[in-house]
Amino acid sequence: MTGNASRLELSLRRSAYLLIAGLIVQGVTLIWAHPASFLLFMSLGGTLVLAGIITFLIAIVTH
Amino acid sequence: MAQYAIIAVIVLSIILVSLILLRPSVTTAQGGKMLAFIAFFILPIVATVFGASIHLENSKSTQFCLSCHVMEPYGKSLYRDDPAYLPAAHFQNHRIPKESACFSCHTHYTMFGDLTSKMRGLKHIYMYYLATPPPKLTLYEPFQNRECLYCHAGARSFEETTPHNAMQQQLADNSMSCITCHNKIHDVANLDKAKPWKGPAT
Repeated sequence: MTGNASRLELSLRRSAYLLIAGLIVQGVTLIWAHPASFLLFMSLGGTLVLAGIITFLIAIVTH
Repeated sequence: MAQYAIIAVIVLSIILVSLILLRPSVTTAQGGKMLAFIAFFILPIVATVFGASIHLENSKSTQFCLSCHVMEPYGKSLYRDDPAYLPAAHFQNHRIPKESACFSCHTHYTMFGDLTSKMRGLKHIYMYYLATPPPKLTLYEPFQNRECLYCHAGARSFEETTPHNAMQQQLADNSMSCITCHNKIHDVANLDKAKPWKGPAT
């Protein structure tokens, strides 16, 4: 039980780091009006956020 | 305004995710599970979907197009004190919205066009950051009359004047281009020869 809880906690931490990084990228690119900002928003921000969400979903389904 | 609302959603999401990161034990309670679901799933999705929509809308802005230095001369061509400059005449007389001047006449460019146009947009970013843009920029395809006719078709001042009235069909089917006669477009090579317009008197 404790092992499961700590694994869940570890997955949540991973998910949180990915989401925070992705959201920071998305927030910064939203205040920068430049063609590269949209690309960064989707490619870097979007990928990190998506990875964070998937990590979170896998964590709550498997633990 | 919508931009700031999404930034607020992003900040809220970061705060909630950080809170759970610092105190993972909150997720043991039912309310904590709901909070985690909102912070880790709902808010990031809202931020991504609406953020992408805002980016798409922003990319229609004149400021967005002119943010690349290769576009600077084209921006300057909007400020020539010469009515023969077609973009300048439209821009200065509010025939097109100032805040989306470029998009008004280039509606199928890069992101707003087909897949080929979108790939060209990516190529532009590659050229801008990793290669050298060509010294002379040209359109990939001939300028389409539909851009002009979107506003001019049906306008009395256009349809009842000579020679437009005699060539409606050719203009509609693009067999005769508007810029055959109205041929002073951005003309960036001769920008310095035209007097600059300082903008509206305030």
